[in-house]
Amino acid sequence: MRPRLLSARSGLKPDARGTNRARLALFGLIGSVFWGGAFAVFYRVLTYFQNVQDFGDILAMKLMSMMVVTFFTLLLFSGIINSLSHLYLSRDLSLVHSLPVSVGDAFLSRWLGSTFDSSWMVAAFSLPVFLSYGLVYQAGLAYYPIVLCAVFFLCLLASATGSLLVLLGAAVLPAGKIRTLFVILGVGLALLLVLVLRMIRPEQLVNPDSFASAVLYLNSMQALDWPWLPTTWITDTVRLALKKEWGLSLFNLALSASCFFSLMFFTRTAAGFLYFRGFSRAQTTAKRLFTPVKFHGYGWESLLNFLSRPARAFAVKEIRSFFRDSTQWPQLFLICALIVVYLYNFSVLPLDKSPMKTIYLQNVFSFLNVGLAAFVLSAIAARFVFPAVSMEGEAFWIIQSAPVSMRTFLWIKYFLYYIPLLVLSELLIIASNFLLGVTPFMMFLSTVTIFFLVPAIVGLAVGLGARYPNFKSENPALSATSFGGVLFMLLSFGLIALVIMLEAGPVYRIFMSRMHGHAFSLPQILWFILSFCLALFLCIFAVFYPMSQGEKNLLKR
Amino acid sequence: MIKLIDLTKDFKTTLAVNRLSLDVAAGEIYGFIGPNGAGKTTTIRMMGGIIEPTGGKILIGGIDVSRDPVGAKKIIGFVPDRPFLYEKLTGMEFMKFIADLYRLDLRAFSRRSLELLEQFALLPWKDEIIEAYSHGMKQRLIIAAALLHDPRVMIIDEPMVGLDPEAVRMVRDILKGLASQNVTIFVSTHTLSLAEDLCDRIGVIHKGTLLAQGTVAELNLAAKTGEARLEEVFLTLVREA
Repeated sequence: MRPRLLSARSGLKPDARGTNRARLALFGLIGSVFWGGAFAVFYRVLTYFQNVQDFGDILAMKLMSMMVVTFFTLLLFSGIINSLSHLYLSRDLSLVHSLPVSVGDAFLSRWLGSTFDSSWMVAAFSLPVFLSYGLVYQAGLAYYPIVLCAVFFLCLLASATGSLLVLLGAAVLPAGKIRTLFVILGVGLALLLVLVLRMIRPEQLVNPDSFASAVLYLNSMQALDWPWLPTTWITDTVRLALKKEWGLSLFNLALSASCFFSLMFFTRTAAGFLYFRGFSRAQTTAKRLFTPVKFHGYGWESLLNFLSRPARAFAVKEIRSFFRDSTQWPQLFLICALIVVYLYNFSVLPLDKSPMKTIYLQNVFSFLNVGLAAFVLSAIAARFVFPAVSMEGEAFWIIQSAPVSMRTFLWIKYFLYYIPLLVLSELLIIASNFLLGVTPFMMFLSTVTIFFLVPAIVGLAVGLGARYPNFKSENPALSATSFGGVLFMLLSFGLIALVIMLEAGPVYRIFMSRMHGHAFSLPQILWFILSFCLALFLCIFAVFYPMSQGEKNLLKR
Repeated sequence: MIKLIDLTKDFKTTLAVNRLSLDVAAGEIYGFIGPNGAGKTTTIRMMGGIIEPTGGKILIGGIDVSRDPVGAKKIIGFVPDRPFLYEKLTGMEFMKFIADLYRLDLRAFSRRSLELLEQFALLPWKDEIIEAYSHGMKQRLIIAAALLHDPRVMIIDEPMVGLDPEAVRMVRDILKGLASQNVTIFVSTHTLSLAEDLCDRIGVIHKGTLLAQGTVAELNLAAKTGEARLEEVFLTLVREA
């Protein structure tokens, strides 16, 4: 564990340019804002619940149970991904296994690292939730250390379960197909997301006709959770500590602890038999999950024949590398699931039941939809476009030594992502507008706004990705959570908010005048022109400035 | 063909290359030797247009690398010290990628790529993804790709690392063959026997400064080591620096 701790300490040391401190300050600030925000939201919700007669406490406890299950699910998925990487795919594993250390110790040290990586964020952001419960329900002092222990065991339980699943998976899957676990995980997650949405049917909650079933739903909420699940023990530990029933609370905590130790015993024993065998199999070259399909002899090369040769070379290289790396797929499946969910939500919006005029609401939603689609696009860009330059990895020397200027290289990258993202965003906007049944004006405005926002977001992502690249990362996709990635998200969200705010006023005026048949005054027309021009300028600036900064940085390397 | 004038690279914390000047004629094989951290790879990376110098000039075939990097790179074949490649492409796909970047004639590419892959004993693995290649195979693929566009200048950093004896002999013969076709070769190496055997002239660099350059006999004269082997000359020069 020492190399890891020493590396972490070196990472915290201030560097010559002071960038480490700036990064720490930025992450600290963002973390505090999220932490504070989560606390404020939960405190507000729980205070509100307390004022609801009869149902308040039931709702609060149900919410807690749901939160614990959610945290456990997140920890479990994160645990599986981290275990796979820490136990089988990390670059330093060859060194670890060459050392005179027993397989059990090697497994344990990797498991500890994986547990920390998969848990710290969920653990940190679960604390404001439990803190707000403690404050709202005026819990005793002992509640807080009990909650800390409960969160600690929740993380350990999820991580031990995840590692055991990965150990078994790696033992069952044929050699060279270990990475297939990522694909299975991705498909599973996507299906789960769609299924959960279909089962919850949140749109029914706004329908007064279904109130009778909501009462039944609340009754069912009072039913006890299944007593054999660790999440039930953790929930009961916290719930009973809130009620100052210390004995029962500690009993549930002890149940969780003993479950973890038993699970860890099994995992450690299984590791003794399976880990090294699985690791050796993972060293075999990754086999392709699917063999490439050529339609009547046409491959990517012929399909992209209209591009210039360097552009086509980059495009084909990027597409092939992406589709041959199965570790990339889970997030692709998730995005597909999210898009389905996104569109599905618009198809079930009960606009006709609202007391407001439907046409007004339809258009308000359409306008908000532009912002929402742009935020979704930002998230996709953070995951796929921002790491695009870093994805070149240590092979970046090929670009540096090739007779292609850095500017050309960056713009090729830009267009590679711009075109598919533009098509995706426009399809999203048009499909959701179609489902909302908006006016032609709103359809025109939203498609045009997205048409200018997409290049801006892609420019920001490629530019900042080149300004803050990490060519040495084992998994460049994770650079979305780096300093540059977070900066991209902040700037991108800021840009979208600014463009939406600049357009909101004029759009409202234009819309109302159309509804009421008013004409515009000259200052109003000037205001419209200024707002739209400013929004356009912001988008253009967001394309070119980050790209030039990125290019400068890559040339300096 | 290669001219370095007062070439300097200052990394702020380290002065990696200090006012380095040298000339390499067309068809000459120039060996660049020095201890670890002497500035060999930094020099080579600057020559390949991979990093920017902080001072001085690099002329390749009369083209200033700082002013026209793309023009200079068109005539350079660059081989780095570590074979990092696009692991998810096959060997042939990688060759095609390079051919597209250099805009090579497609018919010529088909013939030349097969020729090179055969020459470097990679033909049976041309359709395997690079991830499955051994270190030596990757190194051979990089050299093959660097030769694809018939460069006038080859800049090579540690060409023999990871190669088996047969491949070492093959690469050495290929480099000699290229030099006889008037291709200029600038090669950095730690394998002094190779430098002695292969290079027309050798430059010894230490702490970013060129200590001496010339044929082995000229280096012996500079180091006052009589008729010693290159290893002895090198150690004397570095020790006395």
